[in-house]
Amino acid sequence: MAKKTNLFEHESLQDKDAIVQYLKALTDGIEKGEVELSDDDEKVTLKPTPFGRFKLKATCSKKAQELRIKISWVGHEDDGDSGQPLHIQPPSK
Amino acid sequence: MRILPPLYDTLRFLLLDLQKQLQLLSDALENQEPGLLDKSLSRVDYIDNAHLTLLERAGRQYGRRLNEHSDAQQRIVIQSYEHIAHSLKALSGQLQQMAHQLKNIDSLKLIRKKHIFSALQDLNKGLSLITAAIESDSLTLAIDICRLQLRIDKACSAQLDKYKKRLRQGEHSDALLLACFILKDIDLMGDALLRVGEGIMSANLGQFIQIDRFRALEESLSVLDGIRQQDLNIHSMGETKSGCTISGVSASSESEDRIMAIFKQGKKAKLQEEKSRIEKWHQKYPGIAPEVYAYQKQGDKAALLYEYLTGQTFNKLLLAKQSKPLQKGLKTLFRTLNNIWEQTRIDEVHPANFMKQLQKRLPQVYEVHPDFQLKGLKIGHVKQVSLETLVEEAQKFEKRLQAPNAVYIHGDFNTDNILYDPLEDQISFIDLHRSEYLDYVQDLSVLMISFYRIANFDPAVRKRIVQAMEASYAFGTEYAAKIDDHDFELRLALGLARSLISSTRFVLDKEHAKSMHFKGRLLIEQLLQLPGNHLHDYKIPKELFHD
Repeated sequence: MAKKTNLFEHESLQDKDAIVQYLKALTDGIEKGEVELSDDDEKVTLKPTPFGRFKLKATCSKKAQELRIKISWVGHEDDGDSGQPLHIQPPSK
Repeated sequence: MRILPPLYDTLRFLLLDLQKQLQLLSDALENQEPGLLDKSLSRVDYIDNAHLTLLERAGRQYGRRLNEHSDAQQRIVIQSYEHIAHSLKALSGQLQQMAHQLKNIDSLKLIRKKHIFSALQDLNKGLSLITAAIESDSLTLAIDICRLQLRIDKACSAQLDKYKKRLRQGEHSDALLLACFILKDIDLMGDALLRVGEGIMSANLGQFIQIDRFRALEESLSVLDGIRQQDLNIHSMGETKSGCTISGVSASSESEDRIMAIFKQGKKAKLQEEKSRIEKWHQKYPGIAPEVYAYQKQGDKAALLYEYLTGQTFNKLLLAKQSKPLQKGLKTLFRTLNNIWEQTRIDEVHPANFMKQLQKRLPQVYEVHPDFQLKGLKIGHVKQVSLETLVEEAQKFEKRLQAPNAVYIHGDFNTDNILYDPLEDQISFIDLHRSEYLDYVQDLSVLMISFYRIANFDPAVRKRIVQAMEASYAFGTEYAAKIDDHDFELRLALGLARSLISSTRFVLDKEHAKSMHFKGRLLIEQLLQLPGNHLHDYKIPKELFHD
């Protein structure tokens, strides 16, 4: 359910096996360093960095159980000058 | 009709000027005094002004709030005033046209004809009845106004025939053509008069009506012996999804407001179909469908008057406080279905083609829920196809299934269309325009999802919904076993998927609609993933019946 560029959303009803498959697909992607999510309109590719923030939230009530997994990586796009080392060694003669 | 002084006063001014406009034109014609035509035309500005004043005052009336109930009624009365004023203004416009044309015509002789004078007189008579009709509570005068249109129409046609005859002789063809245009103007004035009558009747009846429909109702009601039309109460009971209006008809004399008959009006094709299907039910399973008292048609419209069946819809039974009536009702329903299916089974197979039905309805679903139109999904190496692709594959799957011999089905078997009378312990069917010979699973799956789709989330109601679905499922399984229907479970899953997804177009609660959509999709996916040699091990997951 993609709404705008760089946003991918999906929701469906799945049996246990299918959910496990989707989770595996995600963990495989994280391991490889590239998670690709797409429907025919939109495509979002995440490139997980070595360190990410990992957040779990579980709730359990009479009516419903919920597990939220949030993993975030800081963007690592090449942002020009600031990527230069701060300490500049004088060129050796 | 109710007098709203600010509107009524303006309307009377408008009317007076219009009467003058008509009178001056008639005089010009009668006395052959073309000079009066300009005087007639000079009234137009006054009429325009009065019309604008009325519209402006009506706007202010809408703004005045009373309470919920009288607001709705008030709105209809104000609309009626606007409708009448608008029709009178249209009439004035036609008169204006006619005056211009009369000024251009060489000889008034062609127009000074008996039929034309008679039509103008009727027009005048109609205008003079309007105030009395508005002030009266009865419909009689308003109906008289409407009837004048018929006379005007007849007079115009009679004169037109004469003109045509002369046109064929080839003389004065220019003048005759102009005369024909003038006749057309007079004819349109008659139509405007009719609209005025309708406006007054609508205000009195509390619902907007068209005279053609009212005439049909009048004629239909003449079959209910000994009841005159003014002794009847007609109240609107709503509109069907197919665009028919439904009214309840009851006698004013009855102490309680007992409804005697249902009056349904709408497209001829729809109602004719319904009538013929009701009659078929009378042959195939007497006592289950309402009796038809009368059927009227006119043009592409029709009206159907039929028996008002007692009892409660299953929708009401589900929402009721107690479960007992629902339990009893379901028991009787299943017994009745079993009998109908036994008695109407034929030696032919008519598959329901659930997936084809679903494919046809998908565009309507997406219209209501655009976000359900998902393209194929890919997460890493796991893929999920679009619903369209899924439904196409499921069509192939469905073709391989064996449907049992067809039975006569209701065709729109939702909880609103099934009545249970607890006193008689009897089931009745209504809204039968889609009845046909088909796989019984069609009715069963529609019924189950019509339970599920009820947008009531009270845990007690939800529990009853689950119970009703489980009971329906159990009944179906039992019946399938009895007739050796081996593919029942698979066809039921397809039927449920079809109804779950397609009926989201009637479900505006987003979460509820989503849940139905997801469940429908899951059922199809499950079926398509079944290994070929394990098809008959499949069981519909009962968890899906839960919210």
